[in-house]
Amino acid sequence: MPNQVPFPDFQPTINRRRVMGSALALAGGLAAPPLWAAGGKGTAVLAIDADPPTLNLGTTSDFAAGDISAKILEGLVWLDKDYNPKPALATAWTVSPDGKTYRFTLRRGVKWHDGREFTSADVRYSLMEIVGKLHPRAAPVFKNLGVEVDAPDAGTVVVRLQKPYAPFLAQMTVFDAPILPRHIYEGPAVVTNPANQRPVGTGPFKFGEWKRGTSITLVRNEQYWDAGKPYLEAIIFQIIPQAANRVPALQAGEVDELLDFYTPKPEVPRILADKKLYARRGVNIPAVYFMMFNVRSPLFANKDARHALAFAIDRPRLVKQVMNGLARPGYGAFGDGFKWLLNEEASYAKKYPFDPAKAKALLAKAGVKPDTVTLRMPFDAARAQMRGQAQIIQENLRAIGLEVSLQPLERSVYYDRVFAKHDFDVTLGSYFSAGDPAIGYTRLYSTYTGTSPNTNASGYANPKVDELLSQGATLSDRAARAKAYRELQAILNEDLPTLVLFDEETVDTASLKLQNVFPALDARDQWAGVKMVG
Amino acid sequence: MAAFILRRVLHALPLLLAVVVLNFLLIAFTPGDPITLLVGDFPAPPEYLAQMRSEYGLDQPVWVQLGHYLWKVLHGDFGYSFAAQQPVSSLILDRLGATLELTLTALLFASVVGIALGVIAAMRAGKPLDGGIQALGSIGYSVPDFWLGQLLILAFAIGLGWLPSQGYNPIRGAAPGWEGFVQHLHYLVLPAFALSLRYLTLITRITRAAMLEVLHADYILASRARGAGEWTVIVGHALRNAGAPVLTVIGYNVGFVLAGSALVETVFGWPGIGRLLYESISKRDYPVMLAILLMVSATVVVANLLTDVLHRWLDPRVERA
Repeated sequence: MPNQVPFPDFQPTINRRRVMGSALALAGGLAAPPLWAAGGKGTAVLAIDADPPTLNLGTTSDFAAGDISAKILEGLVWLDKDYNPKPALATAWTVSPDGKTYRFTLRRGVKWHDGREFTSADVRYSLMEIVGKLHPRAAPVFKNLGVEVDAPDAGTVVVRLQKPYAPFLAQMTVFDAPILPRHIYEGPAVVTNPANQRPVGTGPFKFGEWKRGTSITLVRNEQYWDAGKPYLEAIIFQIIPQAANRVPALQAGEVDELLDFYTPKPEVPRILADKKLYARRGVNIPAVYFMMFNVRSPLFANKDARHALAFAIDRPRLVKQVMNGLARPGYGAFGDGFKWLLNEEASYAKKYPFDPAKAKALLAKAGVKPDTVTLRMPFDAARAQMRGQAQIIQENLRAIGLEVSLQPLERSVYYDRVFAKHDFDVTLGSYFSAGDPAIGYTRLYSTYTGTSPNTNASGYANPKVDELLSQGATLSDRAARAKAYRELQAILNEDLPTLVLFDEETVDTASLKLQNVFPALDARDQWAGVKMVG
Repeated sequence: MAAFILRRVLHALPLLLAVVVLNFLLIAFTPGDPITLLVGDFPAPPEYLAQMRSEYGLDQPVWVQLGHYLWKVLHGDFGYSFAAQQPVSSLILDRLGATLELTLTALLFASVVGIALGVIAAMRAGKPLDGGIQALGSIGYSVPDFWLGQLLILAFAIGLGWLPSQGYNPIRGAAPGWEGFVQHLHYLVLPAFALSLRYLTLITRITRAAMLEVLHADYILASRARGAGEWTVIVGHALRNAGAPVLTVIGYNVGFVLAGSALVETVFGWPGIGRLLYESISKRDYPVMLAILLMVSATVVVANLLTDVLHRWLDPRVERA
């Protein structure tokens, strides 16, 4: 039988069976010395959906990989609920007045899990050789900014950018710029380094064991720099491939935490009603769900046709029926998640209230005869909420004389069809902002002619928009950034290459037994301070 | 007999080669790209994509890739998984035990219960019990196993709370020794049942038909006339002779059971080969897909071979056929 590798039992509750188990294991000489430390108490079980491809966060933005590795690795900073950077491996930092030089003071006395000392050389290597070259989200940004990293002494790192970039600090988190051990990665190819499967970090938990298809276990790092932490003795990531089985596992107490990413939306009311569970709503990384128009297609090259669809689609109904109310109807090009940049005058509520009659008139103006056109709408079949949206949109558009052919595709085929071949009329997608509109949303609107997945597939190109997007990303003053984004909303909400259908509201859930479980903006982060009671 | 086996093995080899080549080409020409899936949801720099592609040999023409692949397979090397970033053989070996446990349990259960029900139905032919068994059989045969799996979870895991809904062992660690084994069996019950039902009903039906045929044969009458006990007549004479077609059905379905485990393992979170196949398809993890398909094909070939040999042993007349 597989998965029978001798492994210590992490269950903190003392009962006869467990005591016997440990005794037997030790007597049989099967187990190495216990991997947990005396200082930690409790084993948290967290649900994930599948084995991640790698645990090297420097080369992936895979959600489960981030969930696991963010507890093993650390970034220079972490983001609190209000998007403020907080010290992690950097204890302090200064930014030059021109916004182009960041000087980080590193935490001293930090050790890698293999006992080696952490220094600025690790930071320099990670940013220049791994993150700056291989991270799917950070590498393009680093390249665009011409990032240079110096390590003048073991405790200092200086990052120079060729142009200022407002969300730079927000991108120095473990998810976008994890700090990896140079002594392990230098030499062999990064992407095939065995450490990607057994990562060595500086974080509160150490890699323990990976039972493929079943679970990944992390154990307490006794030498963690924040003395006394972490409080848990271990974390088990349990793979539950069927979404439908995750909520029962949480309610039955088999699992202690279920993040929004893994939660089927229709089950959310059941979770919210459960008195044994704690749910965090509203604090989240803004995320938008949208419909992209292919402006290369003769039909949607015409702005009136795009406007017609904006009037015809019942966005509040999508929120109610597809998202179970856990969303807000589309506000505009950048959603409504960042309060500081909203442009109320240009909002969809003002510009495109639900009005099928108006939609019909606009279609006629665009030269479309009713019941003569069929739109091809491919979408990612694996995502249940996409199918739900597609069906409602199909019904809405039929009411104005447009037929929609729904094309649910497997993800890799979907990527190929939409992003590489541009073979669609409209398609559905969702992006999250990673804490700043310049990190996540820009790729929806900036001119792009390549074929990478999840980048502007609509074919929309507007030099003015590109310029304003660049201002939004590089100005360091928030008021000036807001001005750029407000102008962008006026243009984009009028040009409408993409119609934002709704802003998602995430619900992360945990057992009440876990305390202080969601201190950070990203629920996967900051687990050193999580305690287990009862 | 040895010549018979040798002949069958020699027939099987080109078949397996054809399977490998066909699978390889089918997969190579399927739309979708493993590298885009591998790098995650954000646009990756083109150099990185190129590096990954060459790392995995995906930048080569298809026939070159096929040639490399065949050469490696001949040497027992099934390649390196893109998604799991480890050798395919270790990935499969890790999961093989769980799948064998599930599929063999399902087959054994389906065979024992199926034959028993088939015999009972044949003995009560035309009576209400026979009707009941046949009606249940029709339903059992038509219910898809993954759907049955969901129903079983709803009823026995969520509704009644008798059995765990998913997994291989308790999440927080299994108990040691005998107690742990019993705990583990709890996890096996629902997936094994879900996987077996279709074959159980099939075996019931075949057994019933085969038994009905032999129950009216002269030697059964003769045996009864000699005053042999009912047990001896049914098990010793009738079943032995009705066994050949039943055995054939069981043998020919080994491959289907193995393939069917993909969905059942996914529904129940059972960490076996089937789920690995399902995951590797969605991630376009070509080397893993190919290795599992080859394994399933080889199992079918071997199972058929064994079936034929056993069949011949049960009924020596087969040799002439």
